[in-house]
Amino acid sequence: MERRSFLKGFGAVAACAIALPHVASAAEEKKSAGPNEMNYETAVAAITGGKALVASDKVKMEAPEIAENGAVVPVKVTVESPMTSKDHVKAIHVLASKNGNVRCANIYLTPANGEAFFGTRVKLGGTQDVVAIAEMSDGTFLTAKQNVKVTIGGCG
Amino acid sequence: MRTLSITAALVCLAFLATANAEEKLSMSEADKKMYAELLESNPAEMEVAEGEQLFGELIGSANYAKMLGVKEKDLPKYIAGFPRYVESAKKVVTLAQTIQMAAAANEKPVPKLESKEMVKMSAYVKSIANGQKTSIDVKANKHMQEMMKLGQEVFEERRGGRGLSCNNCHSSDIVGQRLRMQPLPDLGAKETAAAGTWPAYRMTQSQMVTLDKRMQQCMKNALLAEIPLGSKEIVALEVYVTNKTKGNNISVPSVKR
Amino acid sequence: MKTLIKIKPKDYKAGDIVKIDFMAMHPMETGMRKNKDTGALIPAEYIDEVKFLFNDTLITKMVIWESLSVNPLMSISFKVPGAGALKVIAKDNKGQSVESTTQITPKG
Repeated sequence: MERRSFLKGFGAVAACAIALPHVASAAEEKKSAGPNEMNYETAVAAITGGKALVASDKVKMEAPEIAENGAVVPVKVTVESPMTSKDHVKAIHVLASKNGNVRCANIYLTPANGEAFFGTRVKLGGTQDVVAIAEMSDGTFLTAKQNVKVTIGGCG
Repeated sequence: MRTLSITAALVCLAFLATANAEEKLSMSEADKKMYAELLESNPAEMEVAEGEQLFGELIGSANYAKMLGVKEKDLPKYIAGFPRYVESAKKVVTLAQTIQMAAAANEKPVPKLESKEMVKMSAYVKSIANGQKTSIDVKANKHMQEMMKLGQEVFEERRGGRGLSCNNCHSSDIVGQRLRMQPLPDLGAKETAAAGTWPAYRMTQSQMVTLDKRMQQCMKNALLAEIPLGSKEIVALEVYVTNKTKGNNISVPSVKR
Repeated sequence: MKTLIKIKPKDYKAGDIVKIDFMAMHPMETGMRKNKDTGALIPAEYIDEVKFLFNDTLITKMVIWESLSVNPLMSISFKVPGAGALKVIAKDNKGQSVESTTQITPKG
C-alpha cells in the first residue's frame, strides 16, 4: 500500500477520533504555513553553523511529560556554568521540534546573569520534543530535550 | 484500495487506543509542580491590576463598602461570603452585581456583566478576600435557602438534546473519571477549592474567566442552552457550587486549563 | 501593551542570584490562525525582541518567536550587583514598543 493513500484513509478516521490526542494533533499539523516557517534541521544549522550538537547533562531541560493543553506549556532551561567572562553560556536557544516555525526563543546571556537560566511558556501544535541548545563561550554547543505529550482536555 | 486503507487505519487506531490505555495518562508530581508554578507568574495579575484601577475610578473601596452597609476594613470578610442576600438589592446577588449596584449608586455608567472591564473588576474585588475562607451561608435567611434549593435543581436538571445535567459530569461519585484526557474535578475538593479560585486565567483561552462564565462555557460544550449571566438561575447555581467549597481558601486569580 | 516585572524572591541581598519574571499582555498571533467568521488568516503579531538592562547596561537580549504562549512570560536569572534600575524593553513585529522599569533594592 502506498503511504499516501494510507494517510488519506487515516486522516478521514482521525477527524472523528477526537478522543485520541496523537491522532488529533496529526490532523492539526496540516495547517497552513506561518510567515516564519522553519524546520528543525534548518534552525539547528542556523544556530550551530554546522558544528556538532552534543547531548549533555549540563543542560537541564524541564517541561511536563504530559501537557494538559498545548496553549501554555511551561519550559525551564538551566545550564551548568560558572558564568564568568572566561567561561559562560553565551546563549540558550529553545526549539519546538514540530511547530511550523520550530524557533521559540534565542536568549543571549552575559556573565551579569550569574546563572544560565531561561523560563517561559510555549505553544505546541501537538506532541513533540522541546529542545534546548546552549551555546558555550568556548564555541561548543550542548543540548537536551524533553518529549511533551499534548493532550486534549475535557469540556472546552 | 480505499476500503483497505480505512480498514488498516481502524486496526491502527485500535492499536493506538490500546497503547494509550497502557500509557501513563496522568501528570507526574513534577509535571503538576510546573503547572503550580504558573500561579507565581500568572498573566491574569496584570488584568487584576487593571481591574483595581478601573474599580478605583468607577467606585472606590469606601463608596463600595458604604453601599454594602459594611465598614471598609470588614470588606475582606464580607466579600468572602458571596453570593449573599443584600438588603438594598432585595435579593441574593453576586459580586459582579454589587459592582453594578455601586456604579449606579455612584451615578456612573453601569458596566455590563459580560464586559471585559467587569471580569477584571470582579476579579479585583474578589481578590480583596484573598487569604479568607469561603464563608457562604446558605442558611442565613429564607432567600439564601431558596437559592440553594433552586441551585441544586438547576445543577441536577437534565437539559438539551443529550439530556445532560451538571451532575452528569460533576456528581461526587464519578470524580477522577476522564472526559477525553481530563480527569473530572471534585468541585468540593480542598486542593481545587473550585469556587474560591475563580476568576481564573484559562490557559486554553489565554484570558481571565469568571465562575458564571465558566459555567456557561460548560453548558455550551454539553450542548445546553446557556443560562444568562445575572439571571436568578445562574446566581443560584453559583450559590450551590460555592457552598461545596465552603471553608476552603480564597485565592484569586488562579490558573486553570 | 501591559507589562509586569517581578523579582523573586521579594527580599534579596547584593550578590544574590534572583529570578526576573517579565510578563506582557500580547496576543502572540502566529499568522496561522483563521478568523472564524471570514476564514481570512489573522496576520502574525508577536513580541520579537526583549532587552533587559541594569543601569542602562545590557544584561540579556532575547529574540522571540510566535511560538511563545499568549501573554508570554520570559524569566531569567540575575546576580544583584547592588541597587539600581532594571529596565525591560519589549518590541513586537509591528513596531509597537514598551519600556518598563523597576528598582532593584537589595536589603543589607
